[in-house]
Amino acid sequence: MSIAAAVLDAVRAETALRPGARATRAGLRIGELSGVETESLRFCLETLVSGTDLDPLAFDFEFCPWTRRCRACAITFRVADYNPACSSCGSADTEAAGGAQMELSYLELEEP
Amino acid sequence: MRVPLERKVLNENDRIAATLRERFHSHGTFCLNLISSPGSGKTSLLERTLEGFDPARRIAVLTGDIQTDNDARRLARFGFPVRQITTGGACHLDARMIERALADWPAEQFEILFVENVGNLVCPTSYDLGEEARAVLLSVTEGEDKPLKYPATFHHADVMVLNKIDLLPYVPFQAAVACENARRIQPEIEILEVSCTTGAGLERWREWLERQMRRSKPISPPKREDAEEHEK
Repeated sequence: MSIAAAVLDAVRAETALRPGARATRAGLRIGELSGVETESLRFCLETLVSGTDLDPLAFDFEFCPWTRRCRACAITFRVADYNPACSSCGSADTEAAGGAQMELSYLELEEP
Repeated sequence: MRVPLERKVLNENDRIAATLRERFHSHGTFCLNLISSPGSGKTSLLERTLEGFDPARRIAVLTGDIQTDNDARRLARFGFPVRQITTGGACHLDARMIERALADWPAEQFEILFVENVGNLVCPTSYDLGEEARAVLLSVTEGEDKPLKYPATFHHADVMVLNKIDLLPYVPFQAAVACENARRIQPEIEILEVSCTTGAGLERWREWLERQMRRSKPISPPKREDAEEHEK
């Protein structure tokens, strides 16, 4: 619920930068390793928005997979079956690349 | 009109955490965020850790719980400053709670600040508290697959403390499987096996802390001879 509240704070802050604008849709980028379950977040967002100045704000979720980068062959690959080794060359020398995202990626605004 | 953004949802928390981290760095304070399920032994580990420190050491603890100050009372017995953060319902600590708790505390005097998070393996993961390192505790009365079930928490941890190893003869827990699972999520994770009941493994845990603390010392300008050495 506190993450949902933070999303709405971010929506309000970004909307306030454009006087008179009204947010109608917000895009959220949620990583596989963010610890956020998107349907729970959607439920919390809809609950918090209902009956407020933001109602009826809609939400789109973009799922960002868990990825690692191979230091040997430089490719970025999606981690499958919890296997951190490179999916291309098999090297174990890999580093975290993506999947922790929790971002407001866009806003659709109606302007006066 | 669609406006593209790249705004982190928790950017206000991250901003406060960055300020706290800067403050800890400038004073050489090593701040450790301890995360685990309820009952894995965070408070017990802190009890055993505090009892092993010379009372002259400058150690402090912030301990978070939804309700009660029981943990703060347990930890205050060792003579080091301890403060309870009662979240009143929130299932995690956030950077603003740490900022408030430190507002009238001489945090710059601490060598180590332990932050015991609320017992929860999910929500604390998302909230940067300005810590230098993050420790996740797992105990042998839980499942070996917890790193796979809660990958975000283990992915963001620097060290996994496997606690209650004195119970290994009595439970079906396979420590090697748990360690392998943790390394699948975070290949660089350090793993320390301890028992807060018997004291096994605690020496290695203390050595790990001292090593992290040395790394947190403020960077002082190089001594003259060092500078000359550098020029050669």
